[in-house]
Amino acid sequence: MAARCVLGSIWTSLSGVKSVASSSNMSVFQSITNYPQLSVFGIIQSRGIRQVVEKKEGKTTIIEGLTQDTPTGPQPPNPTAQCPIYRWNLQNKYNYTDVLLLSQFIRSDGGMLPRRVTGLCAQEHRKIAICVQMAHRAGLLPDHKPPLPEGHVPKKPKPQLNRYLTRWSIDSVKPIYRAGLKWCKNRISVGHPALRNNVQYGKKILYLKH
Amino acid sequence: MSSFTKSAQQWATFARSWYLIDARMQPPGKIATMCAIRLQGKHKPIYHALSDVGDHVVVMNSRHIAFSGNKWEQKMYSSHTQVHSSSIFLFFLQIVKLAVYGMLPRNLSRRTMMQRLHLFPEDDLPEDILLNLTEELPQPREIPRRLNEYSQEEREAFPTLWTP
Repeated sequence: MAARCVLGSIWTSLSGVKSVASSSNMSVFQSITNYPQLSVFGIIQSRGIRQVVEKKEGKTTIIEGLTQDTPTGPQPPNPTAQCPIYRWNLQNKYNYTDVLLLSQFIRSDGGMLPRRVTGLCAQEHRKIAICVQMAHRAGLLPDHKPPLPEGHVPKKPKPQLNRYLTRWSIDSVKPIYRAGLKWCKNRISVGHPALRNNVQYGKKILYLKH
Repeated sequence: MSSFTKSAQQWATFARSWYLIDARMQPPGKIATMCAIRLQGKHKPIYHALSDVGDHVVVMNSRHIAFSGNKWEQKMYSSHTQVHSSSIFLFFLQIVKLAVYGMLPRNLSRRTMMQRLHLFPEDDLPEDILLNLTEELPQPREIPRRLNEYSQEEREAFPTLWTP
């Protein structure tokens, strides 16, 4: 990340040169590869945020993504890690309530972004996906709902039941008719075992079965 | 206080206070433990099971309780038949009531303690109860903030973990 901010100026200059070249070529489908090839192993390759701009010159329309200057924010404490969560040392420290963190990995309709885009490692991607699911079910991400088709008439207003730490999807779970006695009780699962290693501040243990 | 007269001190010690609990987004079990402790009088150093030292507890917003996990779907309450948690709309009051009832000691004073528990579905409480309230108890569970409740400054202050 430190190397990235040093090379930030180089990247913007490179992108400027390449966008000028592409507009003069007037070919619409030109792939712009922006990241510099470096010999340093483990550099985070990020292409930069682009803005799509459409230009019309007579009969030709040019649609291109112009790289925007991203202001260099705070640096991660562990820049030489592959996964963003390990870069910021947040391995076992996030939960379904950390919506500001989770919202960086979701699309506008609430789905997760693919791993090859975000750069997360497999376990953390799965944990984030689980936390995002729990946050959706708790109603903590109200603006990230999938768009309803037009002309959709809601049948009946469902009773708004508040919930949190829901592991299973709402329609998939059946009631426990025979819970059993204390020594052989059919327990209700709360939270998720993937988050078992989370840091507990205080003496309370994380209960996954209630 | 030592500066009060003996009779005033006695009155202050044995007076029955009224507590208020807001059950919005709270798990009903934790609300019920808080209620049961105060209805029995176990929060007082002068507690004795035979001396009627319990207080009144008013629970408001009991329609907005939150269950953890999939308890709305899985938890069953039984009377002569079995009732689903989310089936009857007016069931919310019953959930808290049954929880408190199960946490009180199984003796004859349980019914009197339940009479001192006042449950309300929303936060509009009648005048006479509002006048009686002495203290509001802190909520057991910290309510998490939704994404739209964070201000723009807080969102900008949060670092972006990755860039595309």
